[in-house]
Amino acid sequence: MNERQYMKKQRLISVAAVIALAAGSAVAVAPASNAAAKTVTIAYQGPLTGEEAQVGIDELNGVKYAVKLFNAKNKGKFNVRIVEIDDQGSGTEAAKVAPGAASNKKILGIVGPAYSGATIASLPFYKQTNLPLISPSATRVSITDPAQGLIGFPVFHRIPVTDRVQGPALYKLATRGVSSPKVFVIDDQSPYGVGLVEYMKLGGATLAGQDSVPDKTTDWSATISKVKSASANVVIFTGYYAQAATLFRQLRDSGYTGVLAGGDGVLSPGILTLASASILEGVRLTGGTVPLAEISAKLEADFKAKMGVSSGTYAAESIDAANIFLSCISKGVNTRAAMLKCVKAYKGKSITGSALSFDKYGDTAGGVMNGFEIKGGAIKYTGAVK
Amino acid sequence: MLSNFQDQFASLTVGGLSLGFIYVLIALGYTMVYGVLRMINFANSEVFMYGTFATIIVIRDLFGFTQQSEPATGFRLVYILFLCLIASMLMSGILSIFLELVAYRRLRNRGSNKLAPLISAIGMSIVLAEFMRILTDSRYVGSPRVMEKKSLGTFFGAELRLDNVIIIVAGLILFVSLSQFVQRTRLGKAIRAVSMNEDAAKLMGVNLNFVVSGTFLVGGLMTGAAGFFYVLKYENTSFNIGFELGIAAFTAAILGGIGNIKGAFYGGIALGLLETYASFFLGTQWKAVTVFIVLVFVLYFRPNGVFGEAITQTRA
Repeated sequence: MNERQYMKKQRLISVAAVIALAAGSAVAVAPASNAAAKTVTIAYQGPLTGEEAQVGIDELNGVKYAVKLFNAKNKGKFNVRIVEIDDQGSGTEAAKVAPGAASNKKILGIVGPAYSGATIASLPFYKQTNLPLISPSATRVSITDPAQGLIGFPVFHRIPVTDRVQGPALYKLATRGVSSPKVFVIDDQSPYGVGLVEYMKLGGATLAGQDSVPDKTTDWSATISKVKSASANVVIFTGYYAQAATLFRQLRDSGYTGVLAGGDGVLSPGILTLASASILEGVRLTGGTVPLAEISAKLEADFKAKMGVSSGTYAAESIDAANIFLSCISKGVNTRAAMLKCVKAYKGKSITGSALSFDKYGDTAGGVMNGFEIKGGAIKYTGAVK
Repeated sequence: MLSNFQDQFASLTVGGLSLGFIYVLIALGYTMVYGVLRMINFANSEVFMYGTFATIIVIRDLFGFTQQSEPATGFRLVYILFLCLIASMLMSGILSIFLELVAYRRLRNRGSNKLAPLISAIGMSIVLAEFMRILTDSRYVGSPRVMEKKSLGTFFGAELRLDNVIIIVAGLILFVSLSQFVQRTRLGKAIRAVSMNEDAAKLMGVNLNFVVSGTFLVGGLMTGAAGFFYVLKYENTSFNIGFELGIAAFTAAILGGIGNIKGAFYGGIALGLLETYASFFLGTQWKAVTVFIVLVFVLYFRPNGVFGEAITQTRA
């Protein structure tokens, strides 16, 4: 091998190393802190970078909080580690990272995936390797609906109620207190957004108008003209918060003064950084989640003290999901098969105080949809939507 | 019902025009470079995106606006907007020259085939977008409101909102200035000469590298202005904002006839209006379908776009 070939080879090796490092960064392992104890690994999957990153980071913090408490309580016995799987909330990314997580035999269970599209893209790999999932936020009905072909069975479970409940609840919340409501619904053409509108209609919603808009839309003038043509006084957007911010801003700028509402895709503190408080004032939102501060102020204070940040959306659900895996770990579960059996048989309590268990297809028994309102630049809990 | 329809139609026209002018300015970035080098600078969409960030940096970091700030008024507002426009144009102009130096000049001087700069352009586009993605954690970046979006009155039932009016008027001024620049100045004449016949222009003593850099600069300045108008109108940006707008502006350039300044103008305006009307009358989901059916239809009869592809025809 001459010098030039040698250099070339070295360069190839370094390029390969960089690629390997980059690939590895998607699945980063937290360092071990307690070598003597039995090390067990669980994972979190959700958007940790990308437009929806806030949702994933908030959920991951919930999982970390639960694990921190567990490790402290079981010092010397167990040391639980968390593998972070970043799917950016997209099905395409999820299909790239899921095979790696599926083949990592150390992972006994995944809290997540956060989003339904990413869940469906990941499921073939997890079903093949019998890897149990408990999602804190994937609410699409089809994943657990036996009539739509057992997409998630048997590995998938979830804490929140589905869009079958959220659709009608969102309509109810948006029209609450509005005399002769004329509702205009806009979806973002995502399966989540379109599905939410379908379940809204199935729940008996009457709509004055509807539009279906690509999820990269920034100019809403045509949609706004339709809203005005329909003389709507309630506008519901079933997409995600980044787009909701631009839509709500342009609607208010156009002189629209009616109600603005959105589902759990919009329920993220991220929206507060994209539009001013005056534009977002009064926006009504639904979500299967309950803020930790509403469960108890002490819990929120403890969370903040331990994690260094306030809890975010789906913190309670993420803690619940992690706690189910952790309770199984404390019973000595150390294989995926045993973990799946244990999760399916789980009967315990949510940190909200209500009973928590799963039906045959992985849906949570019971559960309610909650309402929120943006007031003075903050998202406030307004109670369950009944 | 009819008057309601007329009101909406007029409002849609104003909205479509202001969107159209943003397309015009980005399309000019594509068309100037194509006119001179017969090369599509795919990284122009990212040149636009960096312009939007420059505007937000001035608003947020230089003037300290937050989402809670009161919008500026009077002379201070004019001053801020002017600085934003300059910052955005400079950022995009300089980035454009840099792109030409780094990614295209060597290929051109070495006499590479036509595909190499094309791939180089796509590569630079990805590099620039990914760099911004890392810097911003892939998140949308909101711009605080710097200008109250006041209504200046109505015109045939359409509300004339200040931001739309500024975009239409300033866009028109910029376009006319560019036309005059290409028509009358020494560099403009050199650009046209190279566009007509590169070899003959060189033999006449035109400094090709200087002309090419000048072309990238002028195209970048126009694209940067579009970045400022975009933030003024939509008040946000993100690392991937250039892709959709870039494709739209590129389509506008093709529709009018790429390489032709007049073509970029009419193509951009037509596309802005077409998108807006199609979204309203057929549903937003039909917007892209309608635009591309019209494009294919136009190209069927005018394969080089409505106005052909000569940078020499500048007058709108």
